[in-house]
Order: sequence, then C-alpha cells, then structure tokens
Amino acid sequence: MALDFDRSIIGKVFDETIFPPITKEEILEFAAALGETNPLYSDEAAAAQGPHGGLIAPPTFVAKLRANKLTPEHMPRLGKTGFDGGRDLELSAPVRPGDVLTMVSAIHDVYEKTGRTGSMYFIIIRNEVTNQNGEKVAVVDHRMMQR
Amino acid sequence: MNTLYFEDIEEGDELPGVDLFLSKDQVRQYAKAANMYFPRFTNDEAARAEGLPGMIAPGVMSLGLLSRLISDWNPAATIQRIGTTFRSPVLPDNTIHLRGAVTQKNEADHTADCDIWMENEDGERWVVGTATVTVPTKV
Repeated sequence: MALDFDRSIIGKVFDETIFPPITKEEILEFAAALGETNPLYSDEAAAAQGPHGGLIAPPTFVAKLRANKLTPEHMPRLGKTGFDGGRDLELSAPVRPGDVLTMVSAIHDVYEKTGRTGSMYFIIIRNEVTNQNGEKVAVVDHRMMQR
Repeated sequence: MNTLYFEDIEEGDELPGVDLFLSKDQVRQYAKAANMYFPRFTNDEAARAEGLPGMIAPGVMSLGLLSRLISDWNPAATIQRIGTTFRSPVLPDNTIHLRGAVTQKNEADHTADCDIWMENEDGERWVVGTATVTVPTKV
C-alpha cells in the first residue's frame, strides 16, 4: 500500500524553540537521575580542572529538550496507535551552564515497513540544536512509529 | 576513574557491564529531571489506563543509561553518535543489565564503534543500539 499523504511537508521547518538558559542545577539533576559519576557531568570543582574547564551536560541531555510543537499541525496520521521507536543523536559542542539553546524541528522522513504483524509507519522528526554562539550542538532524530 | 587510550582498546572488548535495580522512584526522578513528568512514567494506574502493563521508563532514559555505560567504561571517551531502538517497554521494579562491546576501531579518526544494549533478567534485549566514541591517544 502506498503511503497517502502530502509529501511536501517533508523537510519543512514546523517549529523553532528557544529555551531558557541552561542552569548548573538542571545539569546536575539530570546527571544524578542517570546515576552518572563521571566528574565532567557531576562534580563542578573536578570538572573545572578537566578538558572543558567546567561542568558540561551528559551527552543525552539534548534529548530532553521539548519543542513547543512536537509535530506539525498537518502531521499524517498513518495508524491508530503511536510508539516511541528510538532516538539517534549526533553530538558536537557540549552543553554548558548558561547556554541558550535553539532547536529547529522538521519532518525528515516518512516510510513504511511491512513485517509479520502488518504495516508499520515510521516518521522521523529531525531536531537541530545550536547554541548562542551559533555552534552546532546536536542533531536529534526522533523515530516515531505508528501502527 | 581510569582513562582508556585508543591504544588500550581492542575490537571485541566488552564494556564492563552495569547491573542495576531500576526502581520506580528512579524513573520518577528521571521523568522530573527530563521534563517528562507524565502519568505513564510516574503512576501505575494511569499507565494501565493507557493500555500499558504499568508505569514505564521513558525511552530517552534508556538512552541516557546506555550513555552512562560508556561513561563508566571510559570517562575520557566522547560520544560522537549514539542511537537506540526501543524494542520493548522498560518496566521498573526490575533488575536491568547494560551491556556493550567494541565492534570496530577506526585508526583514521581515533574513534571506536560499539554495540550497546539493555537486557532484562531473562536476557531479552529491551533496548539495542550503537555508538561511536572518540578516544584520546597516548601520543
């Protein structure tokens, strides 16, 4: 069955969210919730002596950023129920306290896979995160599944 | 914490496993820290009303725990890329096992590719993924 939806939505930016400055406390809280003991993420004094000269956020911190609009208004509904299929993160500049992050979101791809249990639809939302210096921080691909 | 250098790493190396009892409180703590304090991640009854067996851990928490597996193995490794597939809901009040192995060393850019996964006590892989990390060199 061919996927029936308006393919022109692919690649169009549907959200741009600017987040409040990242705080030291939220980095430490996030690291603690994962049981991180790496001083880069959990020990301000030790991190100051390390390669980044200060505390940085754990790598997956960027996956907690929530856009104002998670999906476009005209998001195709291809199935009855949705699942969180996975994440792919490409990481560049680290996140530090005081950073003001911007996230730009677009539908990157939509495809169908047919398996034993029938058809599954995959929608990839690509979120590009940059910081206040215009540096690339991360590309977060969110793989949503519908059945 | 011991730094592992590129020269110390071999293809086929297993990352030291992390075994932990994932409590409901730890899942709630993560949900709070990650702005995901939604009923399905915090409350059994509400999760059941959504058709789940009980409260579940957010997928990105599993991603975060697998990133910690790498951080525990080599605190000097920098993750360039990490990807995970959520194959099955992760249910708290279970002991989970985080595992990984080095699948390839890349001399050109001093990176290592790893397979990473989370399994339950029956060896079912709830979450699977891969990561590429940059590792410091001795010279």
